[in-house]
Amino acid sequence: MSIDANKPADIALTDFLDQLNRLCESAQSTFAAATSNDLLEGARVEFLGAKSGQLKSVQKNLGSIPGPDRPAAGQRLNEVKSAIQSAFDHAKQRLEQVGQIQMRDPKIDPTLPGPAFRVGRLHPITQTIEELKDIMGRLGFTPAEGPEIEDEWHNFKALNIPADHPARDPLDNFYLAVASRHHHEPLLLRSQTSTVQIRVMEKIKPPIRIISLGRVYRPDTADATHYPMFHQMEGLLIDENISLADLKTVLRLFADNYLGSSVPVRIRPSFFPFTEPSVEADYFWNGRWVEFGGAGIVDPNVLAAVGYDPDRYSGFAFGLGVERLCMIRHQITDIRYLFTNDVRFLRQF
Amino acid sequence: MLVSRLWLEEYVRPNVSPNDWIERLTMSGLNFDGATDIGADQAINLEVTSNRPDCLGHLGVAREISALLQVPLQIPNPQPAADGPAIQKDFQVVIDAPHLCSRFTARLVRGVKIAASPRWLVDRLVTVGVGSVNNIVDITNYVMLECGQPLHAFDFRKLQGAKIIVREPRPEETLLAIDHKSYRLEPGMCVIADANRAVGLGGVMGGADTEVTPSTVDVLIEAAQFNPMSIRHAARKLNLHSLASYRFERTIDNQQIDWASRRCCQLILDLAGGQLAAGCIDVGQKPALIQPIRLRHRQTDRVLGIQVPPKQSAEILTVLGFSIQSSSADEVTVIAPSWRRDVTREIDLVEEIGRINGYEHVPDNRPVPMVASHKRPADRVVDRLRHFLTSVGLDEAMTTSVVPAPWSESFSPWTDAEPLVSQQPMLGVLEKSSQNIGQVNHLRRSLIPSLLEAFRINEYRGNSDVHLFELATVYLSQPTGLPNEPTKLAIVSQRDFFELKGVIDSLLAHLNPKVAATITTFDHPLFDMNFSGQLDVAGQRLGYIGSVSAQGKRTFGFRQSATVAELDMQAILGLARATVRHQDVSPFPSIQRDFNFVVEERVRWRALESSVRRAGGELLESVSFKELFRDEKKDGPDRKRLLLTVILRSSELTLTGAQADAICERIVRQCQSDHQANLVA
Repeated sequence: MSIDANKPADIALTDFLDQLNRLCESAQSTFAAATSNDLLEGARVEFLGAKSGQLKSVQKNLGSIPGPDRPAAGQRLNEVKSAIQSAFDHAKQRLEQVGQIQMRDPKIDPTLPGPAFRVGRLHPITQTIEELKDIMGRLGFTPAEGPEIEDEWHNFKALNIPADHPARDPLDNFYLAVASRHHHEPLLLRSQTSTVQIRVMEKIKPPIRIISLGRVYRPDTADATHYPMFHQMEGLLIDENISLADLKTVLRLFADNYLGSSVPVRIRPSFFPFTEPSVEADYFWNGRWVEFGGAGIVDPNVLAAVGYDPDRYSGFAFGLGVERLCMIRHQITDIRYLFTNDVRFLRQF
Repeated sequence: MLVSRLWLEEYVRPNVSPNDWIERLTMSGLNFDGATDIGADQAINLEVTSNRPDCLGHLGVAREISALLQVPLQIPNPQPAADGPAIQKDFQVVIDAPHLCSRFTARLVRGVKIAASPRWLVDRLVTVGVGSVNNIVDITNYVMLECGQPLHAFDFRKLQGAKIIVREPRPEETLLAIDHKSYRLEPGMCVIADANRAVGLGGVMGGADTEVTPSTVDVLIEAAQFNPMSIRHAARKLNLHSLASYRFERTIDNQQIDWASRRCCQLILDLAGGQLAAGCIDVGQKPALIQPIRLRHRQTDRVLGIQVPPKQSAEILTVLGFSIQSSSADEVTVIAPSWRRDVTREIDLVEEIGRINGYEHVPDNRPVPMVASHKRPADRVVDRLRHFLTSVGLDEAMTTSVVPAPWSESFSPWTDAEPLVSQQPMLGVLEKSSQNIGQVNHLRRSLIPSLLEAFRINEYRGNSDVHLFELATVYLSQPTGLPNEPTKLAIVSQRDFFELKGVIDSLLAHLNPKVAATITTFDHPLFDMNFSGQLDVAGQRLGYIGSVSAQGKRTFGFRQSATVAELDMQAILGLARATVRHQDVSPFPSIQRDFNFVVEERVRWRALESSVRRAGGELLESVSFKELFRDEKKDGPDRKRLLLTVILRSSELTLTGAQADAICERIVRQCQSDHQANLVA
């Protein structure tokens, strides 16, 4: 056998396979050890580089494998090639994941507060009124309004309160000073919202189903339970054949709604000039009867005063103090808190 | 009214336990308000409504129990032996003031022995909270508490001139009353006088000069009827409220006067001895005839909502003391007893039947016909307004409608008319620190002074973040008719002028994005001259805004900066959209461009903005103010820079940069020509 010096010497198949195996192991371990993308990229160039990568170098030796052994060598080369490529892909994927792992930064204090966003509060009286309007609205009562400064007709006379009635005592009302008036009739800050009922009845014919809500005034000296200004809600229903039973039904429905469950209601006789019979409504609440407000069948004199025929129409009226309801519900112990406007009070509701 | 259980049981024997009959009384109109054990007795507190003076005596309450329980009522029938010389021989009573005293009766008992009352009488009085004085005084009190008719005993020998004159006071007349205080009498008060002087204030209090003392021998017993209004006026004016005045104010049963007088004399004879003079002086009006009342039985059902059989109705009225004049299947005619002056009409009879039958029988499960109630448009706007205001951090306040004069005078932008003033001041509504400001009797013409006081209170208490609003009425005097009562929205806030203006601008935009307020000069001592103004919307006055001036802060006594605003709700309701109409939004992207103009100080943002809008045309979606600053080194004196941003968008296509550039050039040119504005590159 002559030796051609220009022709590379034949390489034994076993040597070639050894070379391949060593390369494969070396590449796999280098890729696995790479801790950064830079190192991995360096390793990729070293092993898989297109020009001078080690795999390329070994591949060049394939031509020196004797012909009959060449298919086996080629097959192995392909296997190693894909194994190295796969090792590289794994390493690359691994490093990408490493890049996504979050590190806890001890300098961050998540217990610090966010900037507060201040939202104001509606006054507890407004909230109570809204609820009353809502409940009464479901029962078909529409709000009505009227002036707070009234004449004696609407505040007293039409309400069946005659001139000699104690309720008309100038000391018990906020009458306006004479100098404040341009006409002769006495005017006063209304002492009840029933005035609105008269004004509505003067304007429209039955059926009527309204509530009047608003400020009323009586010259009590302010203390924990009195204030010379407070809010009333009064309901009025006028139609044909309206009786005390209808009143009791509406009061019960109201109590069920406002107090949130089925609450026993009772009515017992009382006295108000504009209703006859007049009753006081009590609710059985927290183990005792609680006075809720006054009510009754609209006095025929009141119906006649607004031009209704008392033999055709009848109706009921009821009234309650909004402050009282509000204070009971929220356990407010002094009515003056409601009108002092300390923001620490207002922000509780 | 305090009643003694043992005392009641002298007239009526309840056939149920005290708890039960007390419950029945509550449910028929005499509300139980607590009881106290006093020895073997109980003092029971019953609330008696002003229409039921008949229940201001034990007999009246016993009558109710008798009717409710259908048990017999025992009423004493006093027939004292009157065997002394006739009273008319020695004495005379003249009513000179029939408008104050409609009837006056007098009996005379000679030779009584003044002593302490017997044990039983003291016990009765003590149980109901009345102190014992001597047998004569105690008997008058006892009979009053028994039947409700007040009585007075005079020391007969101290009455001068053998007469009593019931009259108006003389000028400057005074009375030394039995409390040994001197009272100045005024016109309209009912004086009981002898020939020379006042010896009592009728129905209110007796005089010291003629009171019964241990040395009294002859007593004159007065049982009378006085004008309720006059009694109320006198008791109130002199602050002399007595058990007697309480009863006269509510009117007494004038058919019972003689019974009470006889009862009193009988007890005097029994307990203090003496001899009753024959006859009785009885002057004034005799009781008027009581008119019959007709009850149509169907009315009970119509009013009460329950059917009460006619027979039962008649029975109830009978046990209550009504006498039946006539009756048929459909109706009954009755005459009310003299003690029930409150029952004059058919409806009153229905109430009597209802309350004795028991309101617990009235059903509470009637089908109530459905009616659609609606929230009024104005209410919806107010709801939105309130929610907006709270969402921007304002708390809702509520202040009194009546304020002291200095507050009323401090701010009144809505009217030049004089404030309305109340005759009575509101008492107890001012904080201690404000109590020297004056009487609270001016109906307010603006809410701002009240809110400034609330601001002061919060500052004083060291509260931070004080931002308040109130929605309430102000009271504006009118030349004729009722005053005008427009509703206002007022705000007080620690925010500065521009922040609060931003709140108002946002509020308007929230209610209607198409409107904006303009501001014009409004000079007022309460406001800082630079940071204040009148706000208008579409030529209509909306309201006022201003930072509180140093003088304003002094007036209201606080130190921190505050900005206030007051807006007219009518204007707000007018501009708010009731229903929002949808408008298509352009699907094409917008282009944003910023401008930095240098202008002279006199150029107002409002004017510059309007030039930008004019030049921008319909592709200009919005223009917004970003910043204002000054750089004298670069721009020279009297110059400022206004930074603004415009958003351009077409509803038909995506704008190109070239299109946007063209618009921007127009804007720059317009601002240059209108305001000599120079764009900073």
